[in-house]
Amino acid sequence: MGVLRYVAKRLGLYLAVLFIGLTITFMLPRLMPTNPVDGYIGQLQSRANGTLTSEAIAEMRTNLEQLYGLNGDIFTQYVGYLKRVVLQFDFGPSFTYYPQPVSAMILNALPWTLGLLLTATFIAWVLGNMVGLVAGYFHKKRAASVLEFLGILLYPIPYYILAVTVLLLLAYIFPIFPLSPTFPVGQMTPEKIGMIFYNSLLPGITLVLAGFGWNILSMKALAVATTEEPYVTYARLKGASNWTRMTRYVFRNALLPQVTALALSLGMVFNGALLTEMIFSYPGIGLIMRTAATGGDYNVLYGAITLSIIAVATAGLVIDLIYPLLDPRIRHK
Amino acid sequence: MIRLNDLKISYRIGSRVIDAVDGVSLTIPEGCIVGIAGESGSGKSTLMKAIYGDIQAPMYISRGSIDYGFKGSDGKPVTTANIRDEWFKTISYVPQSSMNSLNPVIRIGKQFTDFPGTDRDKKRVLERATAFLGKLGLPAEVMTSYPHQLSGGMRQRVMIGLATFFQPGLIIADEPTTALDVVVQKEILMLLMELQEEMNNTILVVSHDMGVHYQVTHKMLIMYAGKVVEYGDTESVFADPQHAYTKMLIDSLPTIGDDSMRGVMASAAGAGGDRAFGVGTGLVEVKPNHFVSLANETAGVPA
Repeated sequence: MGVLRYVAKRLGLYLAVLFIGLTITFMLPRLMPTNPVDGYIGQLQSRANGTLTSEAIAEMRTNLEQLYGLNGDIFTQYVGYLKRVVLQFDFGPSFTYYPQPVSAMILNALPWTLGLLLTATFIAWVLGNMVGLVAGYFHKKRAASVLEFLGILLYPIPYYILAVTVLLLLAYIFPIFPLSPTFPVGQMTPEKIGMIFYNSLLPGITLVLAGFGWNILSMKALAVATTEEPYVTYARLKGASNWTRMTRYVFRNALLPQVTALALSLGMVFNGALLTEMIFSYPGIGLIMRTAATGGDYNVLYGAITLSIIAVATAGLVIDLIYPLLDPRIRHK
Repeated sequence: MIRLNDLKISYRIGSRVIDAVDGVSLTIPEGCIVGIAGESGSGKSTLMKAIYGDIQAPMYISRGSIDYGFKGSDGKPVTTANIRDEWFKTISYVPQSSMNSLNPVIRIGKQFTDFPGTDRDKKRVLERATAFLGKLGLPAEVMTSYPHQLSGGMRQRVMIGLATFFQPGLIIADEPTTALDVVVQKEILMLLMELQEEMNNTILVVSHDMGVHYQVTHKMLIMYAGKVVEYGDTESVFADPQHAYTKMLIDSLPTIGDDSMRGVMASAAGAGGDRAFGVGTGLVEVKPNHFVSLANETAGVPA
């Protein structure tokens, strides 16, 4: 009963966030003083050395406006936009790769990005939390500070430096991994999957290393604070073993904020995708976004931004739905 | 019977050594409730920690010893070295902060089974614990509840249930009712007394509240500056306090209808907040079962 209402409330909130996000994405570019159709026609005109007649331009304008949903007043455009995006996940064709539809481009790239970044983020989270927990629980022991040092060492390195260093080290100096990876397309066979896995290892390692440090430091701080809680002291005085106290007392309680952090970082994978995919020429959303940004491909950008909004909002929904399972205090509200 | 032999407990902080308990010798007989009173920093908690056997750096026993005079669950005599194995078997502990001494994300039932004192058959332990908590006036649902679903009084009952479930010979209660309102406090104290009568074990109760001591304890131990200044049967101590510090503690109990202190306290505190009491070495038996540390008659004189 209460569960249903809780879920319904969260779902409602989720849909509201999506709606607001889509609306802002729609509104923002329209507040700009430039008109994409004018820009596009201007480009064509200059390429054609001004030989286009005004009739041709007028016809092209109607066609383009039709194509990109820019005809009618702003309200008609808005309704049309919502209809296309929500019902058909249709962002129109790409400017650069006309007439390829944006949704197809995004859907092709999505499994690549999600496969690499979700896995890497999750592994970094699990490893970082385990190391951080041990470092925090045994923070009075000198050996544990070595673990913390690992976090302090890794955390401040900017990702691009880390990635380029790893690339140099493991692909150039010690050529264990390919310097310019190749990612096969088309029908998947076991060999192709193995090749993809092998080629993805290097970007994966850099992502794990980059996320690892933050997770260690964060979990360590949480675990140190939790070991001082009266219930942990009491568990010690009850004679509960170090293992029980570390896992069931410190970890279970320190985990709660970390779950939020995980969900948020999973929602933010598209930000991380950009640099990783550029450095390792990995065929995901990041690479598409970069091409779109430099080429002024509005529709692709629309699609990518919408996807980010959906990702972050979905991550928020997932936290909201998982959290009560971990924290009984929220479950019984 | 627990005997403390010239016990001195110190803390080593850097190169400094602080003696928190300084030469305590006394005998606690079996089957009685002993109240321990004294101001903050007088060494009560350190003494309790040492008796419970929770001795870890920077705290250490710098002189003397504790004789426990009872056997552990494996039949061997309990000593400071092996007492940790007896935690929640023959000796248990009721913590000060009952409000947050239970793990907030684990059900109460599980907190009855997650330490080595329980036997392997968790189901049997849970059944027995449910029945036992029932005796303490807690419904069976408590076992499947989380701490936040219980009131403060219920949580403290759970803590007392945890401490008494194994029928330990010695229970140490560190300010067990501090966070509770007076009505619940009385219920908890009555419960503790009932259980003690039933099991006939020894309970050490630390409290700042002289009223609690008067109601509950059989014997009183007054600590001041790391030393025991007075130790004796509660009635005797309250009826005829020997040491100036004990007198002051007992006089600090407010009485309803007595307004002689109105307006006095503030000025008194302003004038001589820094009191010092003389403490001699060793206890002298001034009456049967009533010991006092005879001061060198500097009692009550400001330092």
